[in-house]
Amino acid sequence: MAHDWHPDFEQLVDTHQSMVFSLALRMTADRGLAEEIAQDVFMELDRNLARIESPAHACFWLRRVAMSRSADALRRRKVRGIDLWVDLDDIHAASAEDRASPLSARLEQLLATLPEPQRAALVLRYQEDLTPEEIASTLKAPLATVKSHLQRGLKLLRAKAQNHLKEYVRGA
Amino acid sequence: MELEPKDDFERELQQAFARRPAPPSLKRRLMERRRTEKQRLAQAQRPFLTWQRLAASLLLTAVLAGSVEWRIVEQRRREEAARDQVLTALRITTHALDRMNTRLAAHRRAPQD
Repeated sequence: MAHDWHPDFEQLVDTHQSMVFSLALRMTADRGLAEEIAQDVFMELDRNLARIESPAHACFWLRRVAMSRSADALRRRKVRGIDLWVDLDDIHAASAEDRASPLSARLEQLLATLPEPQRAALVLRYQEDLTPEEIASTLKAPLATVKSHLQRGLKLLRAKAQNHLKEYVRGA
Repeated sequence: MELEPKDDFERELQQAFARRPAPPSLKRRLMERRRTEKQRLAQAQRPFLTWQRLAASLLLTAVLAGSVEWRIVEQRRREEAARDQVLTALRITTHALDRMNTRLAAHRRAPQD
């Protein structure tokens, strides 16, 4: 398909590295792994640069591949028998300045305890501010499934927050 | 399922899940990796390119040699055709001269009779 837009790889990295890294970080709760995934995603983008048609397509493509690579990484870890969510404080070794607030850090820890499909839906909903339709398109999942994951994930996260974060959360 | 408007908890989530800045080293490492990968790819393609060039050179040489050979054969064919034409002309001329000689001989014999 012919298109006029000529993507600049370096510029795309500058624009989207924060998004890709944050998606991978919230999905894996592992900084090192998230950085590795982000690199893999951008390397794949480099190989597929000719197929990218517009800035919006680049953003959509990066989101989809970042989520897919993160899910792959989690599956590989499960196969190797490593439980990601046992020692979250140790694994989620972000530096202090990276954390916006203690509440953010605690919510991220609680998010990491959710099942992967619910976590994916919530991350896309609240980090990327996507609609359920956009999430379904990004995850290549049926809309009803995405809505169910959002509803259950939010309910579960709310319940966990009520138990663990009473001192922080107003609406929980 | 109605997702809008967001309640307090969802707004807290939105704030908590704001994008994190990527590590400053991410881009540098990525660009290094990209450079290395391109070099590796170029090196991997080099033997293939060498074979391609060799094959192209052989093909070109064969085409040139064929062309020269064809020219030589064509030149010979033309020369032979020209020679045949000259021989035919000579045969015609000889035949005409023979007829002429025969007539002259007959003419010389005629007054004596």
